[in-house]
Amino acid sequence: MSHQSDCSSLYRSALVRFILFCLISVSSSLALPPRAALERFCIDCHDRDAKKGDLDLDAILGDGIEKHSETWEDVVKQLTARHMPPVGKKRPSEAEYEQIVKSLIETLDAQPPKLVASPTLRRLTRVEYQNTVRDLLAVEFDAKSAFPTDEISHGFDNITVGDLPPALLDRYITAAQKIARQAVGTSDKPEINSVRVKSDITQEYHVPGLPLGTRGGVLIPQVFSREGDYDVQIRLQRDRNEQVEGMRGEHQLQLLLNREVKSEFTIKPAKDKNYEKIDAHLKARLHIPAGQHDVGVTFLPKGSPVLERLRQPYKASFNLHRHPRLSPAVYQVTITGPYDAKSTGDTPSRRLIFGNGSTDAKAVLTPILRRAWRRPVTDEDLARVLPFVKEAKDFESGIESALAAILVSREFLFRTETKLDDAALAPRLSFFLWSSIPDDELLAQHPLDVEAQARRMLRDPRAKALVTNFADQWLYLRNLDSITPDARLFPDFDHNLRESLRAETSLLFDDMVKNDRSVLELLRNDRTWLDERLAAHYGIPHIYGDRFREVKLEPEWQRGGLLRNGSILTVTSYATRTSPVIRGHWILKNLLASEPPPPPPNVPALDGVISESLPIRERLAKHREMAACASCHNLMDPVGFALENYDAIGRWHAEADSRGGFADGSEFEGVAGLEDVLLKRPELFVSALTEKLMTYALGRGLEASDAPAVRKIVSRAKAKGWKFSEIIVGIATSVPFTMKSSAP
Amino acid sequence: MSTFTTRKSLSRRTLLRGVGATLSLPFLDAMVPSATAAARSVQPAKRISYIYIPMGCDQSRWTPGSKDSLDKLSPILKSLEPVKQHCTVISNLELEPAYPGTHATSNASFLSAARVKHTESSDYYNGTTADQIAAKAIGQQTQLPSLELAMDLMQVVGQCDNGFACVYQNNLSWSSPTTPLPAEAHPRLVFEQLFGDGGSKADRTAALKRRASLLDFVKDDMTRLAKQLGPKDRDRVNHYLDSIREVERRIEKAAAAVAENELPDLSRPTGVPASYAEHARLMFDLQLLAMQGDVTRVITFQLARETSNRTYPEIGISDPHHPLSHHGNDPAKIERLSKINAFHVSLFAEYLAKLAATKEGDSTLLDNSLLLYGSGMGNPNVHDHTNLPAIVAGGANAGVKGNRHLRSEKTVPLANLHLTLLDKAGVKLDKFGDSSGVIGVL
Repeated sequence: MSHQSDCSSLYRSALVRFILFCLISVSSSLALPPRAALERFCIDCHDRDAKKGDLDLDAILGDGIEKHSETWEDVVKQLTARHMPPVGKKRPSEAEYEQIVKSLIETLDAQPPKLVASPTLRRLTRVEYQNTVRDLLAVEFDAKSAFPTDEISHGFDNITVGDLPPALLDRYITAAQKIARQAVGTSDKPEINSVRVKSDITQEYHVPGLPLGTRGGVLIPQVFSREGDYDVQIRLQRDRNEQVEGMRGEHQLQLLLNREVKSEFTIKPAKDKNYEKIDAHLKARLHIPAGQHDVGVTFLPKGSPVLERLRQPYKASFNLHRHPRLSPAVYQVTITGPYDAKSTGDTPSRRLIFGNGSTDAKAVLTPILRRAWRRPVTDEDLARVLPFVKEAKDFESGIESALAAILVSREFLFRTETKLDDAALAPRLSFFLWSSIPDDELLAQHPLDVEAQARRMLRDPRAKALVTNFADQWLYLRNLDSITPDARLFPDFDHNLRESLRAETSLLFDDMVKNDRSVLELLRNDRTWLDERLAAHYGIPHIYGDRFREVKLEPEWQRGGLLRNGSILTVTSYATRTSPVIRGHWILKNLLASEPPPPPPNVPALDGVISESLPIRERLAKHREMAACASCHNLMDPVGFALENYDAIGRWHAEADSRGGFADGSEFEGVAGLEDVLLKRPELFVSALTEKLMTYALGRGLEASDAPAVRKIVSRAKAKGWKFSEIIVGIATSVPFTMKSSAP
Repeated sequence: MSTFTTRKSLSRRTLLRGVGATLSLPFLDAMVPSATAAARSVQPAKRISYIYIPMGCDQSRWTPGSKDSLDKLSPILKSLEPVKQHCTVISNLELEPAYPGTHATSNASFLSAARVKHTESSDYYNGTTADQIAAKAIGQQTQLPSLELAMDLMQVVGQCDNGFACVYQNNLSWSSPTTPLPAEAHPRLVFEQLFGDGGSKADRTAALKRRASLLDFVKDDMTRLAKQLGPKDRDRVNHYLDSIREVERRIEKAAAAVAENELPDLSRPTGVPASYAEHARLMFDLQLLAMQGDVTRVITFQLARETSNRTYPEIGISDPHHPLSHHGNDPAKIERLSKINAFHVSLFAEYLAKLAATKEGDSTLLDNSLLLYGSGMGNPNVHDHTNLPAIVAGGANAGVKGNRHLRSEKTVPLANLHLTLLDKAGVKLDKFGDSSGVIGVL
């Protein structure tokens, strides 16, 4: 809700929201809870004189609810979370709580929906751009390295996308030319593609996709737009001393094309530690036909006996000082070509563009324009792009120029909603569910059957975007890349583990989307997804190999469900230790949508006040003794304590003290206790998920007037066993999603 | 050995070497010093550039033998001989904010003169660096406000210097206290940043024309849209149109630069040269091209990274640099360290000679550019930040005289030199980092 995200106003009124319980006076036409309840529970703190947290009930009681719906929505929120009245004051019974909330909601839901303007112009995010280019031209484009990061607000990167700075426009032009060139494949100029392997990837084991029995390396799927000769040059990883680590004896390196060995190289140890030229000979010229091919570079493992050493070896080895590489690793593969280019051949892009072999520019460009601009194409539209074809030296390079123009056009780069009809609703739906443009079926249907389309789209592979784009942001998985646990304390952390952690959570969410399961399975699940690396990290036996598989869990493994996923436990920790505060905040914000306000600006420094040598639980307890900190930390810290059995990279330690509690006075122990509490009132979690999905779907922060729609979706989902698709369909058919967005 | 460049060894044409691609630079044979600045009126330097060397030097072989001039060059600086009339060596500079001595702070504070936050996490904090202050003032006229280069391809991961995040050691240039600008070491990626696909003058003109025509298309598109919108949205579209005009301006700039500046045909280097010296020369050549083509006016270049353990077989040094720098006053080790120091200077001297030989109007690239070559560490054996090696070069048109050795009795903050150089580039600041004034005599 808007007050949840507007931090400054939130803080201003924070106390209100924590201390308030209220009931309402009398507006003759509306059904309100009895004034008596208000007198009993709220007015002591929220009358004209005390006005705690800036809430003066006396001032609004005389009016109808509709005049202060924002305040009342807040009240509902506080009551639903049982935050108000605070523990220690006189509180309603469960039955009374429910009755009061029900009565308020009935009145609020009866209000006519309010029109909330969303921005008319919204630029595609990086992810949307990349998916759109994939669906429009069958070109795999790495938008992440081509464009600057999209700024995040309200938890998502598709909210503040109204800008177009010069640097970005400049890059759009470069990208458009590059994509068009790759799609058509007319250019016979050699292109250079350098692929670098992240330096904290351990390359001692098999890499998925490369032949079994090989070690390390990298697999590069690439579309070759022309047949011809391509140079492949390989460089090895150096450490910070510019030396190649792990060079004991000779090593064999293979260059593969579609899993077939094309070249084999021997790498010999350098004399005098001079590694400059050690990989100079790792190059080959391959003849490659047009189309998509996998270029692989990998080592043959050395047939040495198991290493015998005093200490158990680390799984991670990439860093000279903490855990050195045991064998050489690939740093970069550069593919340059084509030289002596032959035919353009049959690539997915050309099939999509030229289809039946048409040489009529209109026939080629019309379907592309229609999908790129997500609307029917007029003669006037064609007249704008056809000159690019006419001015070119030949037909195909003309099409290439026209495609580049389409890719920088406003209607491609921006979603423009001046009115919300089927033509606007179709892209709304596709960007929500696919983070991409509508397909032909969606564009063709009039009138749009939103529910049927949403269900169809959920079954489409493109719905994977809900995992890779929505869940990635909602659950902070996107932060994993920037998390580097302290190498001294967690020497076994490397990029391989990071990727396995991410995969577990992605597969959990994916399983729910694909099989339309109850969303509560996100909270508690007796299955999870593991590969050998992650299983070893968790201490789960008998999982071998790098293929992820569904695993039926034993209770003593302490896994299953988001709160036990190493990914989330890691992104909510510091580099050196766990943070009950960050974990508590994460749970309140993302699973319960009751985010505490940010710290006040004049927050006292902890340094020197609280000894750093105290255990974290005691330090935080001292911290909560300060009044300025207590109001929020009383909410966050006890929730986070429940996860103390998991360390900063998500490993289980049975001995930790994991007693926790909620601000409603409930107490619990450990992750299981926390999950029990969350599952006891599933509406809270489902509302939070719905609000997040809706923010993402609408591309704007939610407002109080959206709350009735959220409640409707939640109760609809409840009736259908909390199925994920019911929430999606609920949002797609909701008033805020289908309502006209802003005045022209 | 050809590493100590003399006038004789500069050929008329030099080659930009990539793997499998060459690119030739036109070279003027005259290595004669350009007319001294005396005849010209003093004007702000057009560009500014910083070259960083790690781990200080052997000061006993660095400090020039003559007191006020460079008449008697020291062993490390010997290769400056052909260009010394463009150089000023400044002794007794100090980087106080880098204390207590570390490699991380030597690098990070070198251009910020700020005390960085002692942290290994992502809450790192430095000062905005001098080059970025210059970029905001004089870098806006060109296609790239600034260019950040390095020689080490790997981003160091895991443990860096004691308790300091690796960003401090990796990044010289910071556009804000929390925004380190990563440097690029791959010649091809640098090339593409500067010249796109490159090619002949005609190729590059044609490429810019294609960009301009796409831009026209967008402009037309946005202008139509503006007419259909309400006032608030029209405002937004007007911002887009501003952006479009800005990109238009850049393309025009680039097109003018292609037309006015004689650059050779440019073909992209494809790989990284295997030897350090070749790689470094290629990186210097790219900087020269960037200046000559007026693609950027602000450059930082890390010639090697702090704690680098690179060996230099091309000059017969098989010991890694970092351990050598902790020589424990062993004369043999110090001598080897000084050879590495001299080798780095010789690469810089070659670059200066090329800049001096490249005409710009009736002047030269060197006379219109200010360069600072130096380290954030003094004596590496003890990790101090006092008596830093520093050479100022070029800037004749901004009134900087060469062939001088400046040495004050008291230590002078390095920040004073930054303040002075910025001032000569037309950027007026009252204070920078821990500065206490400008170096008036420069």
